[in-house]
Amino acid sequence: MSTEPALLSLTEVARAIAQKRFSSREVTLACLNRVAQWQPRLNAFMAIETDEALAAADAADAALAKGNSNGALHGVPLAHKDMYYEAGKIVTCGSHIRRDFVATTTSTALQRLKDAGTIRLGSLQMAEFAYGPTGHNTHYGPVHNPWAVDRVTGGSSSGSGAAVAARLTFAALGSDTGGSIRMPAHFCGVTGLKTTVGRISRAGAMPQSLDTVGPLARTALDCALLLGLMAGADADDPTAVAGPLPDYMAATRESIKGLKIGVPTAFYVDDLDPEVERILDDTITVLKREGAEIVQVELPDQRQLTAACQLVLAVEAAAFHKRWMIERPQDYGPQVLMRLQNGLAIPGVSYLEAMRWRGPALAAYLAAVAGVDAVIAPVAPVAAPTIAESDVGNSPDAEAVIQRLTRFTRPINYLGLPALAIPSGFTKSGLPVGMQLIGRSFDEAMLLRIGAAFQRATDFHARVPKPA
Amino acid sequence: MTKPSPKEIKAMTDVAGLPVSADVAARIAGSIGPAFEGFAAVAGTLPFDLEPASFLVVQAAKVSK
Repeated sequence: MSTEPALLSLTEVARAIAQKRFSSREVTLACLNRVAQWQPRLNAFMAIETDEALAAADAADAALAKGNSNGALHGVPLAHKDMYYEAGKIVTCGSHIRRDFVATTTSTALQRLKDAGTIRLGSLQMAEFAYGPTGHNTHYGPVHNPWAVDRVTGGSSSGSGAAVAARLTFAALGSDTGGSIRMPAHFCGVTGLKTTVGRISRAGAMPQSLDTVGPLARTALDCALLLGLMAGADADDPTAVAGPLPDYMAATRESIKGLKIGVPTAFYVDDLDPEVERILDDTITVLKREGAEIVQVELPDQRQLTAACQLVLAVEAAAFHKRWMIERPQDYGPQVLMRLQNGLAIPGVSYLEAMRWRGPALAAYLAAVAGVDAVIAPVAPVAAPTIAESDVGNSPDAEAVIQRLTRFTRPINYLGLPALAIPSGFTKSGLPVGMQLIGRSFDEAMLLRIGAAFQRATDFHARVPKPA
Repeated sequence: MTKPSPKEIKAMTDVAGLPVSADVAARIAGSIGPAFEGFAAVAGTLPFDLEPASFLVVQAAKVSK
């Protein structure tokens, strides 16, 4: 275990504070020092709240000295994607339009982490209104990848991916509507959990039909801890499912011996960059060595799912933004406005057909994977492209570029399934590559179990980028 | 399922209250065309008694290996 507190995992630092091996102030200062070192290179933070964070850390230390702990994350400093409402705080959603918007409520997911004792370091950069997969942002500048600052982080949870990778925060909330947790996890070399639709409340987090709340963290174990704290029913979000929750932490301790993991025969293995293909093969080898049985699975046509996903996303985005598109079109970035306009041209009948097909499409997928515990696939066909080459703005082919980049993530959003992105290797030039484990609805525990076993057998998740 | 032409898109955006130029309509047609093509095999084939909430029923069903 590291003696530098900022390099500990979330579970390690929470234990260290609870056992008084580090004070919350020491940990918070360590994070703030790294933020000061990295922020000029990464642009990962939207706001840095040094004084407030240290005051909260001192309060946490004082409480602990009196024997009072707020919960499993007492005194742990975190920062999250700047779309989670926190009462009294500016929440920009990465936009110019909400540059001065002060939330009057706190999102349920964030409140549950606060209730567990976390303190706030600040807020993290993101794509404008979470509508972009690369990490570009016209208003606040691109977020840079800590492994190579000329490369993108992926989006839309761009700051979350960069900040967790550079060890500026122990974990960060992201959100995933078309790949926005898994893409930055893949490009930045961190662990990202896209949860099942309905697993975590979306109240106070810009909800649309396919949106999901989830964490980016250093390990599957950290994701398990955060999921257990955030999951469950919520009076403010009737789509959040009630019922008993699995013990996610216990799941991470289980062996994967005897589990069956499916490898798709098509789509997810087509047109891969050779290095991504090699890393997929290497990952399969490790899973086999750990005792899993690897079998091929023939999935229903995933291109249809991608198409349906685009129909739903485009229409909902246009509907949610229509008022501002009329009143303040000049305040959107060109690419975001251009993509919002796409939704105006999709008939209501097509949208509703895409929504009606979700049930049969999910049933067909689940039937196809009935013989396996999870499916493994690349998150994206390539490692992080450069910021320059992926800056397609509002050019005519921008949508095609975006669709190509997210073709392996969108089908999962349409089906509302959980997926865990895990660091799985590095390219020869040192860029991280992640794989996604895709599970059945509400079976995050299985993904965390496989992810944790993989991380016990490898060290990709433990590697830390160094400032140039 | 036919993808909308730029001319049709121009009319649709007019109706939506957010009119776009002919150039933008052409760009939109190129952007959303693949989605219409990809969904063509499904469009117009769904049974009458299928509502969007069927997704929740499938999602909640206990499925095991």
